[in-house]
Amino acid sequence: MVVLLEGMCPGLDKDLLRSLRAADIRTVEDLVSSDIEDVAQKCSVSYKALLSIRRVLLAQHTAFPVSGADLYEELLSSTAILSTGNPSLDKLLDSGLYTGEITELSGGPGSGKSQVCFGVSVHIAHRLKQSVIYIDTTGGLTASRLLQMLQTETDNTDEQMEALQRIHTFRLFDVCALLDCLYGLCSGGLHKARVGGGSVKAVIVDSVSAVIAPLLGGRHNEGMSLMIQVAAALKTMAKDFSVAVLVTNHVTRSGSGEVQPGLGVSWSHIPRTRILLERVETGACVSRPGRRRVTLVKSSRQACRIKEDFDLQRWSGADGEAPSGKRKLDQADP
Amino acid sequence: MAESGTQLFARLEARRCLKDIEPRLFADDGGPDHGEVVELYGPEGTGKTELLYHLLCRCVLPVAAGGLEVDVVFVDTDYSLDMFRLVSILDNRLNAGVSTSLTSARSNDAALRSCLSRLLVVHCCSSSQLLLTFHFLETTLSSRPSVALLLIDSISAFYWPDRSEGGASVTRQEEKLSKCSELMARLLRDYRITIFATCHTIRRSSSGPSSSSSASEPDRSYLCRSWQRLVTHRLLCSRQEAENKLAPADGGNRELRSRQVFSVHCSSSWMGTKASRVSSFTVTDGGVEFT
Repeated sequence: MVVLLEGMCPGLDKDLLRSLRAADIRTVEDLVSSDIEDVAQKCSVSYKALLSIRRVLLAQHTAFPVSGADLYEELLSSTAILSTGNPSLDKLLDSGLYTGEITELSGGPGSGKSQVCFGVSVHIAHRLKQSVIYIDTTGGLTASRLLQMLQTETDNTDEQMEALQRIHTFRLFDVCALLDCLYGLCSGGLHKARVGGGSVKAVIVDSVSAVIAPLLGGRHNEGMSLMIQVAAALKTMAKDFSVAVLVTNHVTRSGSGEVQPGLGVSWSHIPRTRILLERVETGACVSRPGRRRVTLVKSSRQACRIKEDFDLQRWSGADGEAPSGKRKLDQADP
Repeated sequence: MAESGTQLFARLEARRCLKDIEPRLFADDGGPDHGEVVELYGPEGTGKTELLYHLLCRCVLPVAAGGLEVDVVFVDTDYSLDMFRLVSILDNRLNAGVSTSLTSARSNDAALRSCLSRLLVVHCCSSSQLLLTFHFLETTLSSRPSVALLLIDSISAFYWPDRSEGGASVTRQEEKLSKCSELMARLLRDYRITIFATCHTIRRSSSGPSSSSSASEPDRSYLCRSWQRLVTHRLLCSRQEAENKLAPADGGNRELRSRQVFSVHCSSSWMGTKASRVSSFTVTDGGVEFT
């Protein structure tokens, strides 16, 4: 709803505004939907003037159609695929996190969602040398764990410090603070975060269900509306600034008893790719407590329900100690 | 309102009828005619967006590759248009169509670009912007007489924000979508285009014998009356459960890949008659393939 204000466009002066309000036209939508001849007679304004005001307002507030060819060109040049650092996860995600999309990682308590997020941010900050925005809503982020993960990647303390500087963290615990933070990022925060070196390529929200789930259910629809607003803010940020958004979610059990991602049906349309993380329950698990199984639940690029196993303790997947040789260089596609 | 001669011609000139856009989906000879609206309804992961891509490709491809060569306007309300997936489907179909003759990369590229130039994409982020965009699209429709199809993905994207903005009054909640529907009705009447729109479910269907008859069916449309009145064909999309249908894999692959089969139940009601049809499809690299 955009309210008509004086000076919004040439020709919209105080007198015209007053006569429009008297004719019950208060917003841009009202003016655009009304019959111009009728209104011109009622407000005793020239038909041509009102028509040109309508055209200008429409041009200012509408979304412009873009040709498919131009859109494709733009996407080709601005989309990148960010490797997560873990080869099994990359295989599942069709080589990594795509910018311009929301990827959702869901799992039960203790399944390792935050650890996966740490691994991804450390990889992007250290190997790909790009900035990461980490929004923590559970209080689970500690810099010492990030440092520990960095120390397995490199021994050089300067490099470790540089990588840590590229990870910008926000700690918030309710949905209004989250919306504030996202709007702030969209309107300039992302550019400011560039100063540390490397533009922001990933935004991780761990976890989005912690702030939204308490609002759902009950008789009021505020919760659903806030959830859709958060989703819209994340999508706009992903598309307009070409960043990859990774969100985490909890799990619930469906009617037939199987595990599924939480936040309900209305949220399920929001992420483009969804993966489900679980512990591997086998008898001989004692020696490898970090084993996890990840399943692809929704994807527009690969067949669903493919599974991959990996070890949380060995994020880069290399079994040996030697860092060179076998390890592939992960680089973002230009 | 006075209109110029060109606008009058653009309005009256017959736009391409889309009755044959996908005969496997609709009942016999029951494809969407001028001025009809098709709603694709279903939960997440049931192939609605894939079906939209399939229809889109069918419209923009050249006649030689099995298309209709009409312009399409795609209104994207939840940023779900995946251009790369669309381009890969177009590529696949273009290559399949001209597999016998020699093709150079440049001519393929040119063909792809000409297909994409028939597509217009609009992103909307709120229902008031959607209303204004439809007003703006009127000028686009009158200046481009080759536009025959309007795709909306999805029409239910602003349902929850509208409900919360409207407060306690149901009329206020549905006000914006009603205005959009009335405007769409006028566009359908005046410009004789066809509209396909996806609508997401908001309630999970309760499976098993415990679902009582008093619980509302999850397949009932929950959007405003003006929209429900516009819809002539309703495609209910769902996943076929349990049996993993083994679709035959390409020659050379040793393993049989089990592909998820989706089913579509189409119920059309126009001019007092009702018809329905059930079809099923799988999703491959080349898009939707009907079984």
